[in-house]
Amino acid sequence: MTAVAERSEAVAGDPESASSLPAILLARAVQTPDRVALRSKDLGRWREVDYATLAERSAAVGMGLVALGVTVGDAVAIHAENRPEWVEADLGIQGIGAVAVGVYPTSPAAECEYLLGHSESVVLFAEDEEQVDKALEVRANLPRLRHIVVFDARGVRSIDEDPMLLRYEEFLALGRDNGGLDRWRDEVARVGPEDVSIIVYTSGTTGPPKGAQLCQRNLLSAISTYRELYDVSRHDEVLSYLPLCHIAERLVSVINALGAGYVVNFGEGGESFNTDLQEVQPTFLLGVPRVWEKMLAGVTLRVEDSSRLKRAFYRFWLAQGHTVAEHRRHGRFGALDRIRHALGWALLYRSLRTKLGLGRIRVALSGAAPIAPQVLEYFWSIGVPVREGYGQTENTAQATGMPADDVRLGTVGTAIPGVEIRIADDGEILTRSDGVFVGYLKNAEANAETIDAEGWLHTGDVGTVDADGYLTITDRKKDIIITAGGKNISPSEIENRLKVSPFVQEVIVVGDRRKYLTALVAVDPEMVGNWCTREGLSFTTLDDLTKKPEVVALVQGVVDEANAELAQVETIKQFTLLSKELDHGDGEVTATQKVKRAAIARDYADVIEAMY
Amino acid sequence: MAPATTSVPPMLTVTDVVLRFGGVTALDDVSFEVYPGELFAIIGPNGAGKTSMFNCLNAVYVPQQGKIVLDGDDVTGKKPAETARMGIARTFQNLGLFANLDVIDNLMLGRHNRMKTGFLAGALWLGRARREEIEHRRRVEEIIELLELQVVRKQPVGLLPYGVQKRIELGRALAMDPRLLLLDEPVAGMNLEETQDMARYIIEIQEELGLTMILVEHDMPLVMDLADRVMALDFGTPIATGPPAEIQDNPRVIEAYLGQPADATARDAVHHVLESRHHAETEGEGVR
Repeated sequence: MTAVAERSEAVAGDPESASSLPAILLARAVQTPDRVALRSKDLGRWREVDYATLAERSAAVGMGLVALGVTVGDAVAIHAENRPEWVEADLGIQGIGAVAVGVYPTSPAAECEYLLGHSESVVLFAEDEEQVDKALEVRANLPRLRHIVVFDARGVRSIDEDPMLLRYEEFLALGRDNGGLDRWRDEVARVGPEDVSIIVYTSGTTGPPKGAQLCQRNLLSAISTYRELYDVSRHDEVLSYLPLCHIAERLVSVINALGAGYVVNFGEGGESFNTDLQEVQPTFLLGVPRVWEKMLAGVTLRVEDSSRLKRAFYRFWLAQGHTVAEHRRHGRFGALDRIRHALGWALLYRSLRTKLGLGRIRVALSGAAPIAPQVLEYFWSIGVPVREGYGQTENTAQATGMPADDVRLGTVGTAIPGVEIRIADDGEILTRSDGVFVGYLKNAEANAETIDAEGWLHTGDVGTVDADGYLTITDRKKDIIITAGGKNISPSEIENRLKVSPFVQEVIVVGDRRKYLTALVAVDPEMVGNWCTREGLSFTTLDDLTKKPEVVALVQGVVDEANAELAQVETIKQFTLLSKELDHGDGEVTATQKVKRAAIARDYADVIEAMY
Repeated sequence: MAPATTSVPPMLTVTDVVLRFGGVTALDDVSFEVYPGELFAIIGPNGAGKTSMFNCLNAVYVPQQGKIVLDGDDVTGKKPAETARMGIARTFQNLGLFANLDVIDNLMLGRHNRMKTGFLAGALWLGRARREEIEHRRRVEEIIELLELQVVRKQPVGLLPYGVQKRIELGRALAMDPRLLLLDEPVAGMNLEETQDMARYIIEIQEELGLTMILVEHDMPLVMDLADRVMALDFGTPIATGPPAEIQDNPRVIEAYLGQPADATARDAVHHVLESRHHAETEGEGVR
């Protein structure tokens, strides 16, 4: 490993002062070659990758691409689940001045075609047979695409005959023959702070996805921000589980991982998420609201199934935790609270948290979408201070964060270091920082609307800032419903009230230019199925489940409860249960499970009409 | 799917097999060939002799006449354990798992025939036994990955849903690293979703491992979707062998299923049975 260290020496200064992510990697490979950078669970065992190995493999990727004729500014796509190869490819690509484009693993072939075509990608890293098949299906329409490098070639039948396909290890060998680390180091030295290095396609709840271009300066700005805000260091440990092509996971698993030097763990993913969390016990966890909601729903379900005594015990300590958490949020954490918390810790919180995989959690964040305050309160009660943050791809996910010592539920906190926030005359939230992106790829019109002459990013969100600088987000500017009576209503506020129920997975409130509001409700099949089993109701499919009068009555109860807390114009007068799950493949939700309102309004026009 | 070309020599040759139990003839002059990489299905009404044929293939029964040859080796007259060593693995209609053992241990049992170190070496955890155990464990983990059993790997098999148990049963057979895999009604008693999942795994086994398989199954849409060739049995006699589409239209097959000569309406009725689930599947998630 010392050989690697020596060869990295030239560009390697201090990781703190490096001018690009690949340069930070080289610096770490010199300073701490043997320290673990990544860990991944393969065939049931955790395998470690140290910095020297990561740098060597990333270099092989970079020089392999050069051998395939990739040059500065070319786009290279990655279509895979989170795994060490994703990071190697990402850094390898950036290191030669090319641009890394992430594609969601769930993206159907048509979406791949759009992203690869729009970005003019010349090489694609495809994970396995499934993703290779998608690419082969549409490659006739992608004249720029020259090579497909396959991480896991098992079952890819044409791998040996098709000249376009390459096995990952063969490709790495190509890069090693082409100079490997020695030459990559020179390439990395040429990457400047203003060079576009990644393109993140935004989920596109309206219209086709837009390719947000981010440069090294954008990416590096996040490192200092996170260090200052959350005090991340090499002692932290994270689990990489949200899609890596999303800016939030990229920040956690690649950008800050290099910046802070902590270990990134890749579990088995999917159904094994809970086991992964239990095994890793991360200290820093970023979740989307759905993750926190599901975790809470899982606990609720297990408690319901336990004995009466256990239930009473659980509720008692949860109530205690709730009180303590409230005091803590307002900086009134006294001696009595300390005792209560210590007892609760010994009797409930510790074991519960370990079971959830949150035993060591130091910083817990929720972002990407609004979360119900009730969910946050729950986690605070068991001593996991989940804090909301706000940001978007276009500002490298940097806008606001919640101060640890003065948490105000319902807001997304205050401007984070280095970020300016302003509310425009029409209520739109504007941000300005080093994180503000370069612009959308090939979309001058959107760029003109998004970044103004003074460098302010127009977020498309509407909100307010209070006297202490706490930002409250009302809704997406485009989503605000104006009823026939002329009232402005934020649908997501109402939707979140309903989503508090573990039985409700997704809600779409409808009512623009209508007399009253209605809702389409997608139930959580697992939770509702479980409820039915306990109630002794039999069912077959989701369609059958959602047509049961008992289930409709169950959801009616949830709606009534929410309605009781809402103003008259905001109440839901009618709702319909959806008989299928909303699916990315069907174009109903984005890859990040954000609802595409326009698509749903169109697909369910009859159902909606029937409610009026 | 692997084409059944005649240019390659068959992997398995069954010639004129006759099996009698007292006065009952279970198999009467059955002959067929299975080619490397092929998925060969045997169909027929209840009691047609499908499972009897399987039992002859792995030497549970010894046929009175005829010959079964696997890659040049005669199977007839061997003991079941010997056929397992020759590379024939099977799954059972009724599960053959150890309910109190976890998934890993059940699959490790499938590796038993591949373990070379003796009891003493294993008990003392000597170098070779240890290396061997690690190697077997790795193979078991590969199967767990292939069949997506990660989330249940440490759970006792008896507590798991039926559909998952069937998958573990398949995994146990795969753990033997067989040359020829016999699948006895892999989707019996499963709902539509579980059936689709199982179909997906069978396809993956064929594509990724290139394994030769013989499938006995009542679920006609599944057979028609997956099989490269189909043999229909009736009262122990093969009445037709060929590609699925051909078998579906064969008047003798239709007759065997309905117990009467085929006329136009009967044919439609059978087609309906053979195809209705098929459409349900392709409209839904779809079996490739």
